[in-house]
Amino acid sequence: MPQITKIRKKILLTFTSLCLISSSLVQANEEVNVYSYRQAFLVKPLFDKFTENTGIKVNVIFAKTGMAERLEREGKHSPADVLLTTDISRLIELQDRNLLQANDAEVLLDVIPSQYRAKDNTWFALTTRVRNIYSAKRLGTLDINYEDLADSKYKGRICTRSGKHAYNIALVSSMIAEHGSAETLVWLEKFKANLARKPQGNDRGQVQAIHQNLCDISLGNSYYFGRMLSDEKQKVWAEAVNINFPNQSNRGAHVNISGMGMAKFSPNTGNAKQLMAFLISKEAQQLYAETNVEYPVRADVMPSELVASWGKFKADDLPLETIAKYRKEALKLIDQAKFDL
Amino acid sequence: MNNIELLSIKQLSVKLQKKIILSDTNLTLNFGEILGLVGPSGCGKTTLLNTIAGFNELSTGELKINNSTQTAMNILTISPSKNIPPEHRNIGMIFQDYALFPHLSVKKNIYFGIDKLPKSEQETRTADLLHLLKLTGLESRYPHQLSGGQQQRVAIARALALQPKLLLLDEPFSNIDARLRNELMLEMRQLLKQLKMSAIFVTHNKDEVFTFADKIAVMHQGRILQTGSPASVCQSPSSWQVADFLQLGSWIPVKAKGNEYQTAIGSFSSTNSAIVDTNNEANNKNSQTLQFLLKPQAIEYCEDEKVNVTVDNIAVTEQGFRYLLSSIERDSSLAFKQLSFYSEMLLALGQKIAIKIKPHPYQIYQ
Amino acid sequence: MLLASLSSSSDLFSHLWQTVLPDYITNTLILGVLVVCLTLIFGTFSAAFIVHTNIVGKRFLRWLLLLPMAMPGYLVAYLYTDVFDYAGPVQRALRYWFNWQSPNDYWFFDIRTLPGAAVILAFVLFPYVYMLARTAFEQQDQNLLRAGRLLGLSSKQSFLKVALPLARPAIAVAASLVLMETLADFATVNYFAVNTLTTAIYDTWLGYGDLAAANALASILMLLIFFVVVAEQRARAGQGHQSNRPNKNIEVIKLSFIQQCFIGAFCWILVFAGFLAPFILLIIMAFEYSDLNQLIALLPPSINSIEVSFYAATIATFLALLFGLYRRLSQDKWRMLPLSLAGFGYAIPGTVLAMVLLATFGPLDHMLNEVADYLRLDSPGLLLSGTIFAVVFAFVVRFAAIANGTISSGIEQIPRSVDLAPASLGAGLGKMLIKIHIPILKPSILVAWLLVFVESMKELPAVLLLRPFNFETLSIQIYQLISDEMLEQGALGAILIVLLGLLPIVWLNKERK
Repeated sequence: MPQITKIRKKILLTFTSLCLISSSLVQANEEVNVYSYRQAFLVKPLFDKFTENTGIKVNVIFAKTGMAERLEREGKHSPADVLLTTDISRLIELQDRNLLQANDAEVLLDVIPSQYRAKDNTWFALTTRVRNIYSAKRLGTLDINYEDLADSKYKGRICTRSGKHAYNIALVSSMIAEHGSAETLVWLEKFKANLARKPQGNDRGQVQAIHQNLCDISLGNSYYFGRMLSDEKQKVWAEAVNINFPNQSNRGAHVNISGMGMAKFSPNTGNAKQLMAFLISKEAQQLYAETNVEYPVRADVMPSELVASWGKFKADDLPLETIAKYRKEALKLIDQAKFDL
Repeated sequence: MNNIELLSIKQLSVKLQKKIILSDTNLTLNFGEILGLVGPSGCGKTTLLNTIAGFNELSTGELKINNSTQTAMNILTISPSKNIPPEHRNIGMIFQDYALFPHLSVKKNIYFGIDKLPKSEQETRTADLLHLLKLTGLESRYPHQLSGGQQQRVAIARALALQPKLLLLDEPFSNIDARLRNELMLEMRQLLKQLKMSAIFVTHNKDEVFTFADKIAVMHQGRILQTGSPASVCQSPSSWQVADFLQLGSWIPVKAKGNEYQTAIGSFSSTNSAIVDTNNEANNKNSQTLQFLLKPQAIEYCEDEKVNVTVDNIAVTEQGFRYLLSSIERDSSLAFKQLSFYSEMLLALGQKIAIKIKPHPYQIYQ
Repeated sequence: MLLASLSSSSDLFSHLWQTVLPDYITNTLILGVLVVCLTLIFGTFSAAFIVHTNIVGKRFLRWLLLLPMAMPGYLVAYLYTDVFDYAGPVQRALRYWFNWQSPNDYWFFDIRTLPGAAVILAFVLFPYVYMLARTAFEQQDQNLLRAGRLLGLSSKQSFLKVALPLARPAIAVAASLVLMETLADFATVNYFAVNTLTTAIYDTWLGYGDLAAANALASILMLLIFFVVVAEQRARAGQGHQSNRPNKNIEVIKLSFIQQCFIGAFCWILVFAGFLAPFILLIIMAFEYSDLNQLIALLPPSINSIEVSFYAATIATFLALLFGLYRRLSQDKWRMLPLSLAGFGYAIPGTVLAMVLLATFGPLDHMLNEVADYLRLDSPGLLLSGTIFAVVFAFVVRFAAIANGTISSGIEQIPRSVDLAPASLGAGLGKMLIKIHIPILKPSILVAWLLVFVESMKELPAVLLLRPFNFETLSIQIYQLISDEMLEQGALGAILIVLLGLLPIVWLNKERK
């Protein structure tokens, strides 16, 4: 079967050569490889700026899931230099699996408050965000606690995304830290009973649901509010709600971070350090906080005007490590309460 | 119930995909008769069968099926304006490839048409048929596990289970080993007669018709040319095509001269001959060369006369030898080849002999 | 994988078992049953109508019914949610007409439910059943149907009792494909917040970080599929049959006007719901939100998508041909094994597959690098797991079952005698395959290739995890936008993915003519 063999050979040849080309691309110099949990378009302006400043090319792959697993499998041949995450538990997971290496650069240690970085300098926060409670405009500004979500007066009036989303897991972890497992389970069960509909969609979808009068109260991160306001279609949704900072009269609002870390087997450590230093620079912090509508981790960089307009708030000073510690417990409780079912 | 019409077809024509396949077809079949439908491939036999079964609609004409029972008269009349679907015609059919349901066992195949009957009735009928068709013991086999003959018998059993008035068979013996074919045909004929079943079967093999049929219908290019008992058709074929298809004899050219017909092997008087006219448009017979149907039994060997033919081919048969002869005269318009002649004498290849035509009712065709 | 699952941490497993797992399994079963039933109804009946009735517009419907195959399920899910949600135009209009104020004033079906997910999946998956059933009906020996008629069945009964049972093997293959697609689906059910076993696998692996328990769950899923496949194969054992006579005249049932209307409506609704409606919605979105720059930006991901899909389709088809012919021609008693094994890849959710591949290629890559180090060569890097090789490999594993199914059924239709005839004419094995089997199989090969191609274009989770740097595909782009509820921005890309998926279908249709 000469014909087939020829075609097959050709295909195999092109195929292997393509593999080689793409792998050799990864090997090229003056570049830095980023594994990102954060969507590419949210970080791209930042990387463009970095490339403009330094001439170092930034390669990104984005994935919401499985990044740590990939990194672990790739081991010491992994091309990853810098990891970007959107949630503390991811950072801790990477740290726990020993996939990060310390970066002792002074620039980082100087400007990042100690509760927003790892003790062993493996990970650093870039921005912080609050897990807010959104409420329908007609209810006015609420002085509300996370605990109130279990209050039967909100029966059938609460919307949220999946309980198993990282943001909600972190919130439940903070509840466990505060109240213990048993009480948190009761809270989850009552919270579930108050839901207007099965957990679904993302945080924006919940605000939309308030706008549609499907519910009155929803959980959502702070930056979604800002991002919705800047979107033509979603602006009306956002305008239908108030953003409330919970637990202001007690422990403070639950805060999560987006952060970064250097990969354990980073092949371009120099570039990685440059990128990390850049990300924490005033310029980048400003830009990052602006594009993502989050709170910059640097105290000397002001949040955007919009974010500032929501007012000052008290943040829960529970150490992030504690939140990460209760993560699995939180997940189990959520399963136990059949929160998503 | 003999001599009662079971099926009558009048002025029937059928078009398939805007092509006329059958035209001006007339046919009747009495109860208990077996009709053989013969003709060359593509002559419309299968279409006629499918039309009777109800798979094709009529374009013109009428088809009547006598579906009467002992208690009630019931004649189904099918016309272009009034079709009756196949399932209401009470007709059974054996397909050329038997069309046994491959996913069902022999027993289930037979049950297929009678599954609305009471269980006990189903079982007795099936048991009877299995016995009758010598299929006992094969009930749980699947069609692909059976021989060709067995498959055919299952197909027959399946069709008979419904006790149809009429059985249609499409080339029933074409998939059967030639050596078994004759035996099977006789067996099947016996079975049909035993059951007093009426049947129409299609074939392109003339031997099958003569063995199997009570009545034959010869078709050519969408028309039925002749119907009748095998003997009457053989004795007086109504057209050149019929005689030719049934291979009733050899053709030799004749020329009319006065009141005589001349051939390469002698002449005969035209008073004792009949001209069978197939082509209506041709009236000027004298100017044409006509074809004379010379049956082997009408040829006589003459020892003393002047030789007029050469032996071209010799074949051994059950009753002596069969020779193919050609006229010695090669260039005339009366020259012929491949004249069949049977004899018990042994002749040599290339030997020249003399033959003549015995007096008989001569048949001449245009 | 099974080995790993044996050592699974029983703790987490029993926790899951006591809490959510029974619900997940129930949901999975219900979803599977619903989708299979719906696709069977949609696919078989539409195929029957197209082949056996004189329905108006049959010539167009014949291939229009294939189009939903080009629609990724998650895309349709998103678009329909947009339309039928509380805020969607349908409910808005209803509220406006009837002056309803709040959701408590009226009842409207909730699309983000298990039945909703089942219907959506059925709309995009039924073409598998349709296609295989249609081919089966068209290739059946029409005399069998005629025999049914003469045995007292009406044309409808004859179809139900003869044609349908005869087409069962083909329909069963299609149904098992649909079932596997359903069980492996993550994006659609996730978007609809329906928790299935796949959700559980994701949760345990990525949430609890317990690979072993995730493996155990994946094994349950595979076991489920295994039983389905085995049960199906047993059910049709001992029924070897095939019509070898080409069919010129397929009996067509003439429909009354009312029947025409109903059956026409049935087929058109399928085409509309599975393809036209979502496609029109996409076009509207594209008009409102897109510009030329977006189109240009789509070019590289499109090329990437086409490239990997092309390789995957070609390799999968080639392997399927190889295995299929091996099974047919070999006397080896294990000859069935490669095909049966390859079939399971289809049921593995993309993410699980990706994780298995990373686990396999990771160490291999490490070995390669060590060998290179030893030979003092430049380190080749992650040659297997870090390049499109991994992506293509994943696609091939995942979609091999489709190619195998199609090609095996093609091979089954070649009469056995054809295997022997060439040898009698003095042709060797190679010549026989090239001159006889492959030309006969050409339609099957084409179909197999196209199916894998289209599936690969749509595949999401595996490519998400396995792709190399800066390697975006269309499906990734669209999924990212969907998960942010911003599909409007990616409408053009979505249209592109659908159009690319259409090309082979249209081409295939032409080829057949």
